Formats: sequence, C-alpha cells, structure tokens
Amino acid sequence: MSEDIVKIKGMKAGLQLSFQNGAKFEDIKANILHKLESGNSFFIRGTTVYIPRGSLPTDQIEVLRKTFHQHGMLFRTEIPKPKIKLETNITANQSMQKKLSPEEDLQQMIVINRTVRGGQEIKTRSSVLICGNVNPGAQIIAGGSIDVRGTCRGLVHAGAFGNDKAFIVADQLLPLQIRIADLVARSPDVVEKSDSPERASIKNGQIVIERIARG
Amino acid sequence: MSQVIVITSGKGGVGKTTTTANLGVGLAMRNFRVAVIDTDTGLRNLDLLLGLENRIMYDLIDVTSGRVPYNKALVKHKKYETLFLLPTSQVRNKDDVSGEQLITLCNEMRKKFDYILLDCPAGIENGFKTAIAAAELAIIVTNPEISSVRDADKVIGELNRADKNNIKLIVTRIRQQMIEKGDMLDMNDINEILAIECIGQVPEDEMVIMATNRGEPVITMNDSLAGKAYKNIVGRICGEAIPFLKVPKEGFFARLKKLFGLF
Repeated sequence: MSEDIVKIKGMKAGLQLSFQNGAKFEDIKANILHKLESGNSFFIRGTTVYIPRGSLPTDQIEVLRKTFHQHGMLFRTEIPKPKIKLETNITANQSMQKKLSPEEDLQQMIVINRTVRGGQEIKTRSSVLICGNVNPGAQIIAGGSIDVRGTCRGLVHAGAFGNDKAFIVADQLLPLQIRIADLVARSPDVVEKSDSPERASIKNGQIVIERIARG
Repeated sequence: MSQVIVITSGKGGVGKTTTTANLGVGLAMRNFRVAVIDTDTGLRNLDLLLGLENRIMYDLIDVTSGRVPYNKALVKHKKYETLFLLPTSQVRNKDDVSGEQLITLCNEMRKKFDYILLDCPAGIENGFKTAIAAAELAIIVTNPEISSVRDADKVIGELNRADKNNIKLIVTRIRQQMIEKGDMLDMNDINEILAIECIGQVPEDEMVIMATNRGEPVITMNDSLAGKAYKNIVGRICGEAIPFLKVPKEGFFARLKKLFGLF
C-alpha cells in the first residue's frame, strides 16, 4: 500500500499533497522522490505543490521544500483562495509572511496572471511577477523585486520595506515613477521607447536603468 | 437566446446614451425585439434621443418598486415597432434602484425581448454597480483622448472585479485628420492600454448633434458616416464580420466649401 502514503489532489492552482496518518517521514520522502524521479506526469516543472502547514513538522516541510525546489517546482504551505480577489488575498499573504525574515520575503513570489488596470493596487511583502501589463494609474508595491512580462506604465515600488537590492524588470519599462527602497526616479518628460527589456536597480546610491537580454 | 448588454464608460459625455439609442434603433431595424432601459436615474436623456419624452407614463422606479408591471411603463417607438424604451425617473435618484431589482426585471423581460440594452450612468458609484449587475456583455464607450481611456481602463478593472469578463469596446468621436497629424490617440495607442476587442470606430460627425436634437438617432440617416459606423456595430453584435470603415480625409474641396458656408 506504499502508493497511499502520499495522496495527490489536483487543484486549479496546483497540486495538493496529503499524507497517510502515522506514516513515517522517511517513507513519505522516499515516496515523493520516487514519484519525482519516475517522471510522473503530475510533477511538471513550474507546477505549484501545496503541503498544508501543520500536516508535518516545520523542519520536515523545509526538507520537502528543498526537494521540490531542486526538481524545479514551486512550493507553498498555503492554498490560495480559488477566486483571486486581489485585495483580500494579498492581505492574507501579508499576515502569513509577517513571520518570515526579509531574506525569505525576497524568495517568496506572487504571480499575477492578468493586466493590472488603473486604480488597482497590489501590495505584498514578497516579490511579484506580473504576466500582463501594468497600466497607468495602477500601483505595485512589493517588498521584493517586480518583474513585468508586458508593458509597465503604472507606479512601481520595489523593496518598499527598505530592501535596496530589489530591482524592477519589464519588457517595456515606461512608468511615470520608479521607486526602489527609499529612492524615487521620475520618467523623463520626453519618453523614449526601448524595444528590449529593461531593468532598474540601485547603483551607487541612485536608480539606474539598463537594457537586459531575457533568456 | 436573449442578451442583456450594458453600455458604460466611466467618464461622462463620451457617447454612452448616443450609442445606446443608435444600437437600439439599429437592432430594431433588423426586426429584433429590443428594450432600452435608461438607468441614469435623475439625469435621464435616452428618451430625448429617441424622441419619446412626451409619451412617458411610468418609469423604472415605478416598476422596480412594484407599482406597475414593466409592460405598462414601456414606451413603444413611434417608427420602429419592435423597439421599446423603459425610461427612468427624473425626480428620484440612483439609490432608489438596486442591482437585484434590475436583475429580476431583466430576467422577466428576457422572455419577451431579444436584446435588452442598459444605458449606464457615468461614474463608478452605486448607479454604475446597479446597471452592470444584470448584464452579461459590457460595451465600453471611449473617446480617443487620454482621460476617457484612463477612465475606461478603470471601468474594465471594476467590471472584472464584479466578475464581468465579456467586455467590448467602441471608440467614438474619432477625427481622422487629427490622428494623421499625430494630435489624437489612434487605435493602436488605445489597444495598447485597454487590450479588449474593439467592435466599433465611430467618426466625429456633426450629424450626431443634429440627430440628438431632433430625437432621431443618426443611424437612421443614410448619408451620415457615424450612422454607417453604428450600422456596422449592430452587424458585429449580431455576429457578422464587418471590416472597419475607412474614414475619408476631409479633402481640399470639402474644406473650401465649408469655408464659404456652402455645405
């Protein structure tokens, strides 16, 4: 019955794992490793795996987190609400992440899979990946870095809680203002368009924008 | 079968009511049974554009408060027999109708009508929320200028928040000449920001103002470019693939005639 030690439940947002009551951690780990290495079609790179917090002791969860990360998967201990209502969802994220240290905040990332429109705000202590545009009038405030796979015209603030290593990347970086940590840069009055992705970061105490090549 | 469409914009004065009146008449010209509902309580205009002000007996508030059945409040258009207007009250305000009441009303009306068009008030407050509650398709009207595009963007966000994801765009008051000079946003600029499907590009046309004042929507005037554009939009709503109008540049001769006031 070794198959039943780890149960996989498919969800809209990823895979949820649950474990047989009383199963040994070694068995669980071996079972997961076996599934990972057998090329099980469930575990595709980039899939998010959820193990509800509290189902295993924290140190064991951390071991599994590393295992999944090594296999190219995302790992979380919290299941997002099925309908992503941003405002509420992100406050939930924040309360969860208050316990984390700043370095861990940077490694956490939320993914926004749509265009952020004028008047909408995304506020998080972690980093943000936006697959869509950030329109004028929108605000992205992140404790970590911000990556926009699209055009960024809104207000973006990376490292909003003091992290000056944070950066902002966008396919087209045309915001009215860029803020990183406690620095502010205003867009030039005559905006020049660049056809390659750009990255803004702090160098020598000021915000610098440079072209980058994205793999 | 029947479809409830809300026409909205965020910013005022971009042509919501004009668009509602023209689409209503256009769909009725194709013999669909159409109801147009004015939800701009307190600032009603749709009746004027359709030339039906003097026939109003009851209004939306009378219907939603249960005083009369909706068919008593409907005003039949004088020319197009399948077009009905449900006007709203000019003395009450927008808090007197709720989204639930409008949903109940539209569900009842669906049995009798092919299309129900809701003319939405400007803004994103209660009146807007009431108007969009019942609709399954939202048509956003915008002008090619930056403030109305910004507001449209905000409205799309609000619609998404209310779980309305079927959103189409109509751009009105386009001036081809200004676009060519680079003084006006063109369709690419607008698409880049809004990124929703465009079903209409209506050129600026003086006949729209004439039509409004006369109470006969411009779609009934055969020699009007805006009217032609609205006819095409009606076709696209019915599922036809129609290419967008090529707006001819105002030629030298036409400008000369205008200069001398000849027309």
